[in-house]
Amino acid sequence: MPPKGGFKKKVPSDGTETPLTPTLAGQLSYLHEPRPFKNPNYTKNTNRRAKNLKTVLGQERERERAERETRRIQREIEAIDNPELLDEVFEEAPTYTMIEAPPSVIPHKHLCDITGLEAPYTDPTTGLRYHDKNVYEIIKGLSTSIAKDYLSARGVRSIVK
Amino acid sequence: MASETPPPLNIHALPTTYLPTQPPTPEPYAPHRAARTPIVIDNGSTTLRWGFGTSDTPAGGPNAVAKYKERKTNKPLLLFGEAIDVESGARGQARTPWEGDVLLNFDALENALDYAFINLGIDTPTVDHPVLMTERLCSPLHSRALTSELMFELYSVPSLTYCVDGIMSFYQNNLPAPTDPFTENGLVISFNTASTSVIPILRGKGVLSLAKRIPWGASQASEYLLKLIQLKYPNFPTRVTNVQTNWMLHNFCEVATDFHGLLRKLRDPLNLRNSEIVVQFPFALPVTEEKTEEELARIAEKRKEQGRKLQEMAAKTRLEKLSQKETDLQYLTNLKESKGSESRREWVSKLQAEGIDNEAGLDEVIKKLEGDLKKARKKEAGEVDDGPQEDPSFPLVDVPDADLDEEQLKEKKKQKLMKAGFEARVRARKEKEREREEREVQERKEEEERDMDFGGWSRKLRQEQEALMAKIKDRARRKAALTDRKSAAAQARMKNIASLAADDRVPKAKKRKGAGEDMFGADDADWAIYRKINTAAASDDEEDDLAQLQMIEQKLLMHDPTFTPKHTHAALTTQRSALMSAFRPLYEEGDIEGRTRIHLNTERWRVCEAYFAPGMAGVDSAGLAEVVQNLVPAFVESRSRPGTLDFPADRAAVVQNVFLTGAAARLPGLAPRLHAVLQSLLPPGAPVSVRMAADPARDAWRGMAAFSRTAEFAAGHTGVTRAMYDEHGGERVRRWWGGNWNGELPEDARDQRMDVD
Repeated sequence: MPPKGGFKKKVPSDGTETPLTPTLAGQLSYLHEPRPFKNPNYTKNTNRRAKNLKTVLGQERERERAERETRRIQREIEAIDNPELLDEVFEEAPTYTMIEAPPSVIPHKHLCDITGLEAPYTDPTTGLRYHDKNVYEIIKGLSTSIAKDYLSARGVRSIVK
Repeated sequence: MASETPPPLNIHALPTTYLPTQPPTPEPYAPHRAARTPIVIDNGSTTLRWGFGTSDTPAGGPNAVAKYKERKTNKPLLLFGEAIDVESGARGQARTPWEGDVLLNFDALENALDYAFINLGIDTPTVDHPVLMTERLCSPLHSRALTSELMFELYSVPSLTYCVDGIMSFYQNNLPAPTDPFTENGLVISFNTASTSVIPILRGKGVLSLAKRIPWGASQASEYLLKLIQLKYPNFPTRVTNVQTNWMLHNFCEVATDFHGLLRKLRDPLNLRNSEIVVQFPFALPVTEEKTEEELARIAEKRKEQGRKLQEMAAKTRLEKLSQKETDLQYLTNLKESKGSESRREWVSKLQAEGIDNEAGLDEVIKKLEGDLKKARKKEAGEVDDGPQEDPSFPLVDVPDADLDEEQLKEKKKQKLMKAGFEARVRARKEKEREREEREVQERKEEEERDMDFGGWSRKLRQEQEALMAKIKDRARRKAALTDRKSAAAQARMKNIASLAADDRVPKAKKRKGAGEDMFGADDADWAIYRKINTAAASDDEEDDLAQLQMIEQKLLMHDPTFTPKHTHAALTTQRSALMSAFRPLYEEGDIEGRTRIHLNTERWRVCEAYFAPGMAGVDSAGLAEVVQNLVPAFVESRSRPGTLDFPADRAAVVQNVFLTGAAARLPGLAPRLHAVLQSLLPPGAPVSVRMAADPARDAWRGMAAFSRTAEFAAGHTGVTRAMYDEHGGERVRRWWGGNWNGELPEDARDQRMDVD
């Protein structure tokens, strides 16, 4: 046992131990590099940090809905003069939320939650899918929390009965 | 694990961490100063790449920055990219501009862009270069607005053009002649870090209205792999990190052309074993002190020496005691003999000095000493002392109490007790002997039976063993059933308890008459019910059964050569199926090397399969094949609803010409799988080509650089100028073939040229 505090973990540096030469991290740091190209009068947008992913996406969705609504009203107004416009297919600008792939409608074969092989069976008590009786033996020995972990890998949130 | 012939394992060691290289020295800025050379930035969520449009390859690094204070010098540091890995303290402080699939952290983006512009060597008061930059397909306007703000207000760029990385990679791999417009058709599948996008390109233009984004990318895949590994190895000695699973994903995982066919093949444990890849994590063997033979011999010698010394000492004390006793005896016999020669009083006082009351006492002591000496001598001679051979006599026991005085009565009581003890011992001995004899007889009988009809004997024992095992199994099953409140066993138990507790097992009226009395307990078997309803106490039957089982198994093991340790109950219950041991081979307790191994088999394909079925990893979204399938009607006339398509030939070419880009496009097997998918979707005989970008990771940047050199870019009809930004805000873009459509400039502003002056 080395004496406590006797050895300090060395920074993976190129053998520099004197404090005069900076560490590798110090060498790689660009904090003090000059940045003449930056506008000194720029003040940070307060909006910058205020929003998290959820609000950004929510906003995006809301904006999309509002835009579609105004467009619809506008077209209806235009259609009063020119009824053919209604039949014209309007190409909407796709947005981030619009291009999201739809939920799957193709049935997929079930996979064994333990082994990943094909799973023709489901354990009624845990809801785990399994390949054969050998895997079932293992499922029977699983604690409920581990069974839950297996389910959550498949994205199944367990419902407390 | 006892396997017959273990095949050589396909072991791969985890890569050791490497030190980051110093950033490349930037090319001299002089030729670009005031030349307005376009700057091309590929702002990817994993990697940021930058460079002047005139260079061949971009500079770049992981898109992350870390600001932290170095503990030794107390100096603040700012690190970008690979440099973050230098210090563990910095790793915790790392910030990325991207949050999953969305550009969100603009402090980090500013720091990263600073690094890029410093690296480009820009020393003018503004970044006086048109910028061509990637953004996410149909980027959220919030991200774009803040990026534009940084570019125009902080770096003061003259113009900014956004493009979609997948389209630019496609462009790079289908470069038109310098003067020709881009008119290629194709279906770009862009494998990004946190998503996968499918972008149809018709006549050189991205048809973004039909583009789709699947929220599954390499980061989700490596996270899924991590989750699977954690479930497979819940007690793994070291922490498996995302970086490590990412390495596994890119090195060992594949897309199966026929996933379900492959799974059927892997059902065979042998195939499963052959498909496995073993990842060896670093481990440290415990240091065992190796002793040389000489040392061992010396230690043994020393121990022997000590033993000998102890023995000698014990013998010496024994001898001393013996001689002491001998002298005592001598003295006392002398004393006894001297009785005649001395006066009575003197003699008695001498006796009393020795602690003896009278002559009888003296005799007793002498007798005892003689007995001791005899015993000791015998022992020394190596004989075993069997104790008094003759039965002790109890003369007073049979004499009636009336004939005895007080002293004798006491003696009689003592003798009675001793007699009872003696008789009990004799009885026990006899019993033992009888048992032994019985056993011998039985063994002889069994032996005869065995000799006469070995098959029958073995069959009988095996049947017994099986019956016992079935009994144990039954008990276990019942126990398991009782944990479920609704099971038949549990319900029956509740019924039993209820009926036992009920007072009126016998109707009251009958009881009063005295007829139909409660007969519970008349039969001993009635009490078994209490045993049956008791779930908590471990039953003694269990232990008895196990003991008997062990006995039977021992006999079988001894005499039946076909009964091996594999057939014992213990072995059978701990046996793992071949499939499970192929899926996750077990290593023994002390095997540290083996216990720091991860065996990958089905996971290698399962993780990649999630690109085609994200649902299996809990992402409710259509997979790649389904998304492509949904696209087909828009491009193949025979598959679409009535209504003619524009440019039918070009449209058909779009889905026949699949192009893969993005770092994860390198997953082996992806192209053949997509080829098979398309062939099943398109009319028979349709030519299908699936191509991968020459350099899936960097071709987007190269395509952008190539585009920045064209007259089309120089003409300035693709980007937004500072004036436009000031007028319309940071969300607005011009719609062009390689960019997004959302946030298009209002119609009246579209015709303005991009030049600034």
